[in-house]
Amino acid sequence: MDYRERWELKDYLIGRRLERRILTIHVACAVILAAFALNFWYLQGVHGEEYAILAENNRMRRVEISPTRGEIYDRSETVVASTRPALTLWMTREDRHDLEAQLERLAPILSIPLEELEERLGAMTGRPLFEQFKLKEDVSLVELAHIEARRELFPSVSVRETARRHYPEGEMVAHAIGYVAQVNETELSSSEKLLTGDIVGKSGVERRFDGRLRGDRGWQLVSVNSLGRQIGDARIETEPNHGRPLRVTLDMGMQRALYEGFREEAGGAIFMDVETGGVLALVSTPSFDPNLFADGFTTETWKSIIEDPRRPLHDRAIASFYAPGSTFKVVMAIAGLETGTVDPSDRVFCNGGKSYYKRRRLCWKRGGHGWVDMRKALAHSCNVYFYDLGKELGIDKIHEYGKILGIGRLTGIDVPGEEPGILPSRDWKRRTLREIWYPGDTISVSIGQGFLASTPVQLATMMASVARGTAPIPPRLIDGPPPESGRLPVSDTTLRIVRDALKQAVDEGTGREATLGAYSAAGKTGTAQLVASSAGVDSEDLDKAIRDHAWFAGYAPAENPTIAFAIIVEHGGHGGVTAAPIVRKVLDVYFQEDAEAESEPDEGAAQIADASRGGRRASLATPR
Amino acid sequence: MHRSRLLDSLDWPTLAATGVLVAIGIFSIASATAGNWQAGIWRSQVVYLGLALVAATVIVLIDYRVWAEISLLLHGVVMLALVAVLFIGHEVGGNRSWLAIGSIRLGQPSEMAKLTTCLVLAVYLARRVRGTLGLRQLIEMGVLAGAPVALISIQPDMGTAVTFVPIVLAALIIGGVRWKWILVALLIALLLIPVAWPELKDYQKERILSVFDPDRDPSGVGYQSRQSRIAIGSGGITGKGLFKGTQNQLNFLPAQHTDFVMAVFAEEFGFAGVLTILGLFYYVFRRGMAAARSAQDRLGTYLCLLIGAWLAGQMAINVGVVLGRFPTIGVPLPFVSYGGSALIAAVCGIGLIVNVRSRRFVN
Repeated sequence: MDYRERWELKDYLIGRRLERRILTIHVACAVILAAFALNFWYLQGVHGEEYAILAENNRMRRVEISPTRGEIYDRSETVVASTRPALTLWMTREDRHDLEAQLERLAPILSIPLEELEERLGAMTGRPLFEQFKLKEDVSLVELAHIEARRELFPSVSVRETARRHYPEGEMVAHAIGYVAQVNETELSSSEKLLTGDIVGKSGVERRFDGRLRGDRGWQLVSVNSLGRQIGDARIETEPNHGRPLRVTLDMGMQRALYEGFREEAGGAIFMDVETGGVLALVSTPSFDPNLFADGFTTETWKSIIEDPRRPLHDRAIASFYAPGSTFKVVMAIAGLETGTVDPSDRVFCNGGKSYYKRRRLCWKRGGHGWVDMRKALAHSCNVYFYDLGKELGIDKIHEYGKILGIGRLTGIDVPGEEPGILPSRDWKRRTLREIWYPGDTISVSIGQGFLASTPVQLATMMASVARGTAPIPPRLIDGPPPESGRLPVSDTTLRIVRDALKQAVDEGTGREATLGAYSAAGKTGTAQLVASSAGVDSEDLDKAIRDHAWFAGYAPAENPTIAFAIIVEHGGHGGVTAAPIVRKVLDVYFQEDAEAESEPDEGAAQIADASRGGRRASLATPR
Repeated sequence: MHRSRLLDSLDWPTLAATGVLVAIGIFSIASATAGNWQAGIWRSQVVYLGLALVAATVIVLIDYRVWAEISLLLHGVVMLALVAVLFIGHEVGGNRSWLAIGSIRLGQPSEMAKLTTCLVLAVYLARRVRGTLGLRQLIEMGVLAGAPVALISIQPDMGTAVTFVPIVLAALIIGGVRWKWILVALLIALLLIPVAWPELKDYQKERILSVFDPDRDPSGVGYQSRQSRIAIGSGGITGKGLFKGTQNQLNFLPAQHTDFVMAVFAEEFGFAGVLTILGLFYYVFRRGMAAARSAQDRLGTYLCLLIGAWLAGQMAINVGVVLGRFPTIGVPLPFVSYGGSALIAAVCGIGLIVNVRSRRFVN
């Protein structure tokens, strides 16, 4: 059949049908057009004015004026954390079709893998086209010069100045000061003041005093185009409140001496003012560089820090707990004397061990201490004496005095993340282990082992309390009037005996490695046992991984003490050998600075410092 | 036919209305791009218009029955171009739709495919179909229209693929498919939705959902549609005036000189302008329908109907997107949106309608 045949009369019926079909298409089109006209009328005629307002709002944009984060200084006005300008590289996705090619050229310049850049570009799919995406934060001037030199190759790249947190002291202050990073979902939902992309304190002082350091943002109204590019003048709506500077009680000199003292060892330590509780040094090792976190893209670095088996993010000074070991004998001695269970002159014979409840308990000194009284037992850390004392005291009394001295509960230090540790009691054991208290448990607790767990900050607080003669006060990093210190329900006589013994321990007992030259100190070493049977084995002979943790806690000077401290060196063996020398280095700085401060501008300062150092050397050379 | 008689019998009102639409387009493109990096791009559209006029003149001069003779050849050439695009095509915005030699872009064969599909379907209907469509005829028409749709879907340019739907629908109505088959097809499509839904990409789902919930994610996928409605609504009754649209001038509108050119026009010329543009489209469509009725043979009738359905359908989809009544897909507004291939194809379509009308008298 030829399609060229004309419409004939015989097609009349078909034609009629076709006419109806044409009409169908025609009507469909007309209906759609009418519906569109109605829709346009709805938008333009009925709601035109509302949309006009929306259009105006579209044009005016509220733009944030970021407050500058407050600086942090140490006690001598050394900058610990500052905010410095940094350059951030952004990419505009609009207007260009060669973004991939630009990224290809950028990757080697910025030393970011091309795949990572492409992934980030891909993540923007579905976002409004005018939203830029971040290529790199804190670009170096060299990188920028490479880009600026061939500007025509990077038409979509722009540079903006942003503020960036900087910690000149780096790893040394990581745990005390903390670090900042972009706000996360949890933090966003907890505060109405925060917006996505804000930089907030994540740990340490940065987190504890975040609100004060961060300040409040301001707002300005700007007329912008869709690129967010400002066109015309800005009008300031609210001025920003910049963050206020913060002075912490830390002493960077001591902080450095402490951090460097640890060298490769893991551990934590805190030094605090006896009267005010002001923290002079707080270190946890291994540490991390807090500057790394100010970067937006630290996934790799993040991973390496988080997955590090040595757990550098963990604050060992306040959040790791260890058996307090012999340092707990201070609590035992006070409990014994206060309850009248023992007289200071009562003597016990130590022949290196003794059986309690059918189990033989050892003293660390294999040959035994012979006859020991309270002072000698504490100074030389005789276990047998304290086993006997613990057996007579019972766990209830031990718990009562441990609690008075702040063991097993939060000290209230103003750094977030503190852990309370454990001060066991009958009740505690029933609740957590669903077991009754056995007399043998008390024997272990008597020498600071067993269920006991404490943190360096707790033991430092306890030592400050003993030195001061009043109840424990919370350590703090922020200056302020000294807090009210409650009464310590311990008699002066008891305190005097304990202080004497602690001085003796440093002078001639287990702590003598810490002998401090020109100034005197008092303190108690300890070991947190890892291997139960090691009580008879010299810790130094053991493999490093299962070697005991070394404690040293005390205060200085022995008379009129001003500074208290506690330190733990993980797998450090005996506290007198590994922990005490670190303490000595820090105290050297402390007393040297004190001497300088007193004699200034007297030229004798240097000589005194020399003398104190010389004295220390002498004591090293001729062990007493 | 004598030259002067051809000139006399040309459908000048249709050509004039089309000309006004193209002119509106050129002004809107100039306004949409004024001040941004594409400023001056309207000059290219003028050049494309010149090319379109040359092509349309050639189409009008040669009897549409001659075009029908070589319709399969033309369709085949376009199909080859569509295949070539898949291998040597130039990728823009994720779609490999540009035929290019080196970096010189020749055009989008998918636009021309719409025209040749109308042509081959009209020829097929005129030659093979009497009364109602049989299964075999349905399959053969399915191959003719399905080939370009499949090739374009691979690019993947879903927007352009969707514009074939009105053409096919019109062909089915003309061919006399029973309504119950259309209903069955619709039912099957409805049943396929739950099957196809998980296969869609996330952004495609979002675009579909944002039709039903316009304020969904206003800065994300719903952004374009929301900005479009703000621009349209803020135009009010009389508009803000040419080059005065703030939403347009400040680049809040996406793709403002191509797929959203209608919003630019609506902001600057208001409801009055919108009625003008819709009126012009209706007028051109009416003339097309009139040409279909007055054609001297089946082929002419079918050709006018299919081209009318294509242009009207594409307009409906584009305006639907601009109003947020249709998921955001990239479909140009015929005659108005920026783009050479689309303009040339649409003007050629009008050329064929004029061709049919001018040869309506038996000679």
